[in-house]
This record gives sequence, structure tokens and C-alpha cells, in this order.
Amino acid sequence: MNWNVTAAIVIVALVVGGSQDLLAQGSSDMCIECHRALDSEPLAGPVEHFEADIHAAAGFGCVDCHGGDASIAGPGGMDPALGFLGAPRGEEVIVVCGRCHSDGEFMRQFNPSLRVDQVAEYWTSRHGQRLAATGDTAVATCSDCHAPHGIRPASDPSSSVYPPTVASTCGRCHDDAARMGAFDIPVDQHEKYERSVHREAMVDGGDISAPTCNDCHGNHGAAPPGLSWVGNVCGQCHAVMADHFDESRHAQTFAALGMPGCATCHGNHEILEAGDSLLGLGEGAICTTCHSDSDMGGAAAMAMRAGIDSLISEIDAATTVLHEAEQAGMEVSAAQADLTDANSALIMGRAAVHSFSPDAVAEALEPGYEIATASLETGESALQDLRVRRLGLIASVAIILMFILALVLKIRQIESGPADSPGRA
Amino acid sequence: MSRQDQPTTKSRRGFVNWLLGTSAGAFAVSALYPVVRFVVPPLEAESATSSVTLPFTPAEIGPNEGKPFRFGNRPGLLVRTSSGDLRAFSAECTHLSCTVQYRTDESRIWCACHNGFFDLNGTNVQGPPPRPLDAYDVNVRGDQIVVSVKA
Repeated sequence: MNWNVTAAIVIVALVVGGSQDLLAQGSSDMCIECHRALDSEPLAGPVEHFEADIHAAAGFGCVDCHGGDASIAGPGGMDPALGFLGAPRGEEVIVVCGRCHSDGEFMRQFNPSLRVDQVAEYWTSRHGQRLAATGDTAVATCSDCHAPHGIRPASDPSSSVYPPTVASTCGRCHDDAARMGAFDIPVDQHEKYERSVHREAMVDGGDISAPTCNDCHGNHGAAPPGLSWVGNVCGQCHAVMADHFDESRHAQTFAALGMPGCATCHGNHEILEAGDSLLGLGEGAICTTCHSDSDMGGAAAMAMRAGIDSLISEIDAATTVLHEAEQAGMEVSAAQADLTDANSALIMGRAAVHSFSPDAVAEALEPGYEIATASLETGESALQDLRVRRLGLIASVAIILMFILALVLKIRQIESGPADSPGRA
Repeated sequence: MSRQDQPTTKSRRGFVNWLLGTSAGAFAVSALYPVVRFVVPPLEAESATSSVTLPFTPAEIGPNEGKPFRFGNRPGLLVRTSSGDLRAFSAECTHLSCTVQYRTDESRIWCACHNGFFDLNGTNVQGPPPRPLDAYDVNVRGDQIVVSVKA
């Protein structure tokens, strides 16, 4: 409250001492002129931040959100009778933003492709539901995620909602144990996400289409995915796996047990790269959570894993032999190109694991075995050919060397001939 | 010939013999070196292919059609768009390297492994592929289609 009093004094001083000067200079926005001169970050900061705001670029000013009259310097322009709101809080923020952002006709002038259902979505979010039910102003509203006075589009790397930044933006509240304690919400989601394969693809791999918080929870309608629709959420990207899973026995079993589809095996925030070790009954295999080698599920898991491991070893063997032949200068590029199709079969076999059917996996892997076997034979044949050529070369070089040696000996014999042969003069 | 001349003649002959001997040795080494290099090949494979002539003519690929080809030891995909342009891409999906194919029903490039799609510029537009397909230059010379790595 202290700085508010100070600010009021400063404003009054400005009104009395300087506003006439500012008006005389032809300034059209007294909010900016006065606030810029204030020695207080909360009062002067917004002026500085707003310079880079997308709304400033589109020609909007302070009064479009805060109300009041920008042509009147001092407290006169901040009269509630002129619609002055001050800093909107809670539902006021939604109303202020929604005034324009829910108006399709209005928004079309600035960005015809921008959606205008953010407010409607917001009221379906956990944030919106709590705000509507309790009026709790601690829940997130528009300005908590979209930095107030510095709003930039999600495509701008300096935006608070640029995909690689979203996790930190959500984490501003959701990492805070004191803040989340009141709602009985865990605070380790961000930390777990930082270890996930999705974050790795996004930040390390530079793929900003990789998922972050809002891709699974929704952005304006943020809420935890329901148990029954986790698969739909993951299936947005992992469509083939989701299709296999939907047709599998596990889809019904998990639903009956109240277990979420994909997340039961892969987790939610800390989704790690799904290696082959997840499958089977060995160390690190997720199937062992429910299955053992004494049940059919365990046997199916072992069969699927054995099929995949077998194809991997065949592809590896063919790759090694072809590489060896290639290094030795043999032409094996056709077999190497074919071998990429064996890799495709392996990838499709791994996807088919989500059907939990050893037959479906074997069917997907089958073309891979044929290609890998043929490629291995091509490589071995090339290496055999190479051995024959090398032996031939060594033999011919040896014969030539022996011939040269014999020639040298013969020449020496001829050269020393006259001394040994008394018959020649 | 005086006795005094003998050492000089001997050293001159020795020098000539030494010269001939070393020349013969150098010749032998230079002749055998390629043989040894053939028998013991280098660890590095030959440099990657930079250009291929496709085993089919421009007339053999119609509008809204795709044909696979081999670019060195990697699979490639030649596409003729509905407007008649020829475009060539690496056929290796940028997600997990499955071989992609042309879908005439969708006029898009499709990866069967995880249902990824690429548009006719090779841009990843749907599914998990994280980046566009590598594109090649296509040149038509008479009846030949020559595909080469982008300069």
C-alpha cells in the first residue's frame, strides 16, 4: 500500500507541476507520459513493457483495457465514472480480454485465423471452474500466462507461451509448493517433464511441435485428461499405437480396472524413451507389473520381445557384413537401400506391440526377416567374391615376382657364362 | 690401366649399382603399394553419392504419382505433382527412418510406420516427423532424370 500512496503523491505532483507542460507538447496518451516519469517499477514498468506488446503494435493503448480517459492528465483521467478499472483482477481480467477476443467480427480485423473461443474454453478449465465457483483470484487468468503489458504471440521466442517456455510459465505457479498446497496438487510435474523424451525433443532436438503442458492438458481449457481419454490425447501424435491399443484386449481391461490407457505403461509427465527393454519379463520390463512367466500375458510379452530382438540381430548382422563389403570397395548399395525397409518392418513391429498380439507383431516383422536375410546373403556373397579376387591378385603377383626372380638369376647366369664355359672364345 | 685408377673405377661402379638398386627398389614399392592397398582396404567407405540418373524416363511418371528410386545406398522418392512438377526427396522418414511412400489418394507423402505425412514440399504436416524430408535437385535432360544433392 505504501508505494500506492507514494505514487498518488507523485501523480498529484505531476498533475500540478508538469501535466500542463506535457499537454502543451501535444502528447495524446497521458497515461504513458505520466507513468513513464514515475520512479516505481510497478507503475512505470508497464509503460516500458507495453512497447513490445502485440496490442501496442496493433494501435491499442492503456485505456482499452484499464478504462479511463488518456487525454486527461492526473487522477481526473482515472475516474471510475469514465470506466477506469485500475488493475483488473480475477473475473475482471476475463471480461476485459474477452471483450475483444470473444468477438469474431472484431478480431477478424487483426488476425482472421485467431480463434475466439478462449473465454468459453477458460470456463471449462480447472482455473475457470474454481474462479466461477469460489471467486478465488489466486487461480490463473489470462494475464498470469500471457505476461501482462508484454503479450507476444506464441510463435515469438520471447513470448511466455512460446512452446519451449510453456513448462516454465505453468511452473511459475505449479512448481510452488506453498501455492499448490492449498489445492492438494503435486509440484513435481515440471521436474518430471524436464526428464521426459518430449522435453528432449522440444529443447535438445529443437522440435517446437513436440508436446508441452498445453498439448495434453489444453491451453485455455487446461485440465487433467480424463482416464478414458488419455489415449485420445496421446493418439494425436501417436496415432498408429493408439489404433492398435484401441483394438487390443488391454483397452477393455484397463478401462475396467480404472487404469489410464497409455499412461499405465509410459507414465504421464516423465515419459521416457520407450526402448525394447520395456517389453518382456526382463529387467526394466513394464509387463512384469501385472504379468509373470506363468501366465499367457507373460508368454505373449516374451514372444513379442523375442521376435523383435531376433530381427534386430539379423539387421545388425546384415548391416555389419554390408558395411565391411562397402569398405572393401564392393558394390552393395542396392542391398543397403533394401535394408532400410527391414528397419521399417522393425518400427512397424514395435508399433504393433500395442496390439499385445504376438501374431500381429510377427506379421509386421515378417517382411523384415526376409529383407535382412537376403541382404546378409548379398553381403556374404560380396565378401566371398572379394576373397576370391584377393587370392587371385596375390597369386598373380607371386607368379610375376617369381618370374622376375628367375629372370634375374638367368641374367646373372648368362653374365657369368663366358668364364665358366671353355667352349666359348 | 694403372693401379692408381682402380679404386676410382670401383667406387663409380658401386655408385651406379647403388643408384640402379635403389631405383629398382622404389619401382617395386610403387608397383606393390596399390596391390597392398587393395588387399587391405581403408577403414572409410567411398564418399557418398552426390548424383544419380534414375532408371526410368520422365514419361514413365504421370501427374499425382510417386516412384521410389535408389540414391546411392539410401531410398529416394520422386514425385510428379498434379501441375507436372518433378520433385525428389530422401524417402527416409525424419522420425525413425522408415521408408515413406506417395499417397495418390491424398496427394501427400506418407510414412506407414506412425502415420506421418509430408506435403509436396517435403514439409512435415502431420504425425510425429520432427522435420521436413531432405530434398534433392531434379534435372531433366532429354529422356533422363538426374537427381542430385542440393548445392
